[in-house]
Amino acid sequence: MKTAFVQALALITSGDRQLGIILVTTLRMALSSSMIALLLGAPLGVLLGSYAGRGKRTLVVINRTLMGLPPVVVGLVCYMLFSGVGPLRHLRLLYTVTGMVIAQVILLVPLIAGSLESHVSTVAPDIRETALGMGLSRGRILLLIINESQYQLVSAYLLGLGRAFAEVGAVSMVGGAIAYKTNVMTTAIMNYTNMGAFTTALALGIILLAISLVLNAGVALLHWRLEG
Amino acid sequence: MMKKIAVLLLSLSLLATFLTACAQENGAEDQTPANSTSENDTAEDETPGTEEPEEGVDLTILYEADDDMINNYSLLAVNPDAPFVDADGNAVSDVYINTEGAAALINWMLSEEGETTATEYGYADYGEYLFYLSEGAPVSTAEIPQATEETKVIRLSTTTSVNDSGLLGYLLPIFEDTYGYTVEVTSAGTGNAIANAKSGNADLLLVHSKSQEEEFVAGGYSYVLPSFDSERLTFMYNYFVLCGPSADPAGVKNAASVRDAFAAIAEGKYPFVSRGDQSGTHTKEISLWPEELGITVDAASVEDYTDWYTYSNAGMGVCLTMAEETGAYILSDKATFLTFQANNGVME
Repeated sequence: MKTAFVQALALITSGDRQLGIILVTTLRMALSSSMIALLLGAPLGVLLGSYAGRGKRTLVVINRTLMGLPPVVVGLVCYMLFSGVGPLRHLRLLYTVTGMVIAQVILLVPLIAGSLESHVSTVAPDIRETALGMGLSRGRILLLIINESQYQLVSAYLLGLGRAFAEVGAVSMVGGAIAYKTNVMTTAIMNYTNMGAFTTALALGIILLAISLVLNAGVALLHWRLEG
Repeated sequence: MMKKIAVLLLSLSLLATFLTACAQENGAEDQTPANSTSENDTAEDETPGTEEPEEGVDLTILYEADDDMINNYSLLAVNPDAPFVDADGNAVSDVYINTEGAAALINWMLSEEGETTATEYGYADYGEYLFYLSEGAPVSTAEIPQATEETKVIRLSTTTSVNDSGLLGYLLPIFEDTYGYTVEVTSAGTGNAIANAKSGNADLLLVHSKSQEEEFVAGGYSYVLPSFDSERLTFMYNYFVLCGPSADPAGVKNAASVRDAFAAIAEGKYPFVSRGDQSGTHTKEISLWPEELGITVDAASVEDYTDWYTYSNAGMGVCLTMAEETGAYILSDKATFLTFQANNGVME
């Protein structure tokens, strides 16, 4: 374990070119997929949470099922769609970062939506009651709910980001772990493990965790400052 | 209401845990006799030589350089007009294959420069050559065109053994820098690598399983390049090695042939780790067992041998680790084993 920490430090300070590319690819993939997933999933979650009409339970159950989608299944489906003989072959998305982002978004949207839905469902009835008493319109009520869900929004995003960093099953199938192109931290860890280079693999794991820590701390600081 | 449901769910999951735990215990009981016999044997063998505790890797090469252990590597260009079918079996005609790029890479790998570079690999790091040039390997003198915008990206599907040995990382940059191509390498077991090419996701293959390559050619998925006379371009080889604990409880070190060595392992039910992933190494391994055992690539064929035979369905490195940890025998290509041994030295 000690060697892994030393090696992780040495790797970071050495400015290894391949590691640099892996890091940039990982960040590009994780940041863009979590951001797209937030833009799609957050409105879905808020709408679903504040909606109280018929069919809500069915929709919630469907979303919760999708939250448990196994990444390898998503990876396999995307692989088959983007494959050279697949229906979307003309887009040439297999073994590209864009393809990996698409697979990640499919995994993250239900997660972010579900996380917001459970929060909004608990606060929405009270807010609606108060707001109706004040004679506010439906649109204003929705804005009020979103305003009340700021904290949940940030934590839902971080949930998605963390998942995007940690995911390996889907990205390795769609990305193919091609060196200098689609190899991300998790797939690189797999590769080194396969070669029996456990210490290097562990060193990469430590670096991945460190990046996650920095990002999380950054978002938390920003959030607390904004809240005052 | 909610409480009741929660209690119900909890007890259900507890029940499931108990059930699976019991099932595992039963399985473990089945395994004990075989394990204990092999441990006893190991202990007997080790008693005379109980010296200092082993450091680093105990797994060693016990048997090699048998003619049955030759590991031939071939290049195959993917045919752009192959009978590609989609997941439902419908014909797909417009599959994109970078034929010019694939031809350029094959012509370079089989040029004098490519072949010399490939066979030199490894000597500097391991003091041994990892790959040898096959006798009568095709040599290309064809001129290699510079990359164009359309032919720039070449998709090479290969086996983990080639990729994990570091050969391509050594070889490809020379080709890429000279001619301006980018080679995208994906690696998997040979069976998987070939399936990948059949789905139109590779422009060429570098694999090592004769039977599976021949099936690929017979299916019309490969074609003869202008400068060569065969689809399968077998150009380099190395050896598979039979590895196991240095104490060698089955005594394979002194076996007359590798087939005898495998028979001794099966006879004594000594633990053996199989790749179980239809890779080239896996297909080679199943060809070495005594025929009456009926071991095939199919997991069902080893159902009766689970007390000593591990059908792991994993890459070479993972399997080597597994063999190292469980004191098992394993068949590996030499290049991966030497790389594994070298990397493992720094483990703590």
